[in-house]
Amino acid sequence: MTERNGRPPLLRLVGNEDAARAAPEPTIRDTDWAILMAHAQDGDRSAYQRLLREITPYLRSLAARRHRDPSDIEDAVQDILLTVHAIRHTFDPTRPFGPWLVTIANRRFIDRLRRQGRRRDRETPLTPEHETFSEPRANLEERPDRHELEQAIDELPPMQRKAVQLLKLNEMSLKEASSASGMSVASLKVNVHRAVKNLRKILGDRSEP
Amino acid sequence: MIATPDLIESLAANMKPVRRLRPPVTRAACWLLLAALVVALLAVSQGVRPDLARRIHDPSFAAGMVGAILTGVLAAVAAFLVSLPDRSRLWLLLPAPAVVLWLTNIGYQCLGDWVSFGPHGVSIGEATRCLATLVLTSLPLSLAMLVMLRYAAPLRPTAVTCMGSLSVAAITATALSLFHSGDATLMIIMFNIGTAMMFVGLGGLFGRRMMQWIAPRPSIRE
Repeated sequence: MTERNGRPPLLRLVGNEDAARAAPEPTIRDTDWAILMAHAQDGDRSAYQRLLREITPYLRSLAARRHRDPSDIEDAVQDILLTVHAIRHTFDPTRPFGPWLVTIANRRFIDRLRRQGRRRDRETPLTPEHETFSEPRANLEERPDRHELEQAIDELPPMQRKAVQLLKLNEMSLKEASSASGMSVASLKVNVHRAVKNLRKILGDRSEP
Repeated sequence: MIATPDLIESLAANMKPVRRLRPPVTRAACWLLLAALVVALLAVSQGVRPDLARRIHDPSFAAGMVGAILTGVLAAVAAFLVSLPDRSRLWLLLPAPAVVLWLTNIGYQCLGDWVSFGPHGVSIGEATRCLATLVLTSLPLSLAMLVMLRYAAPLRPTAVTCMGSLSVAAITATALSLFHSGDATLMIIMFNIGTAMMFVGLGGLFGRRMMQWIAPRPSIRE
């Protein structure tokens, strides 16, 4: 029994210590901060700087409960610091500092989450898939005359078909196409010209039966 | 994005000493003094209604007036309290009893002699003068309150503007029943509840935007 009773607290104690070491929980040092803020209101710069530096880790731990993205957390902390700066005259040194700070922080978090919620409702983040599908080649399927065009190209003589494929469909330059196919630049030019002429004839004929 | 330590540096470097706000109740009292001044000036310029002395002895009229005035005072105090970050939101309930007194009294009056509103009960001339009183009372008071409560913008804009609007509405309704003998009950209902709804509604709708417009800008360089 004693062994059983003894173990769990021991284990828990170790676990707690580890957790505490990993993420130290900042505490509100209410009196100190109230005094610092009172000095800051009177114009003491170093007190103000010290106060802002000391509340930052605390605000960060509050923000971490609401936001996941580290850049969101940092943005929220800066938002709160700016708000504290803007309305620092509303702090009454005879009252505790903690609730004052926490209310400001919570209001900023809520505003921020609401804004993010609204943005999520309206906007969709652009993912790699979206970019892929906006490429014309990915959407070739949707064009109504794709099959017609492919058939027409298949009907062309082999040299002309190759010239069209390299220069028009793969968008190669004349030099690239020449080195890829072994045809000369002049021959490519002639063949592509004839191919376009033929395609125009074929497709024109099909559109007016 | 600026790094947080740099932000702290620049905030501290550009800091100026600030004057602390006076206690909220004192500031509410200042605003109420302004309200009293506005109503008194209107009384001088427009003249109180002729039958005021007689009507004030009517218990239901007097109770309605007291309710409206109390609502104005308590809502103003609540608005100034709630505008501070470290005060409880429960202060929003402060004017509730007075609102109940005010509105039930109107309702009671309405129930008592609703037939007294005849086809000639409301005249156009009276209605426009009522409107003038409404604007002349509410506009300066709303603007003053907006300026006095501007720092509440990043905190609880909607709650604060609703409270402020309720206060303005109650004081406006008091002024209306002081100056205009629109005792036809429909008029009372219209102007009392109507003004209250209008101001609270406007406050709720535009309060946030108005507050943001006048809010202290958190600037690093002051």
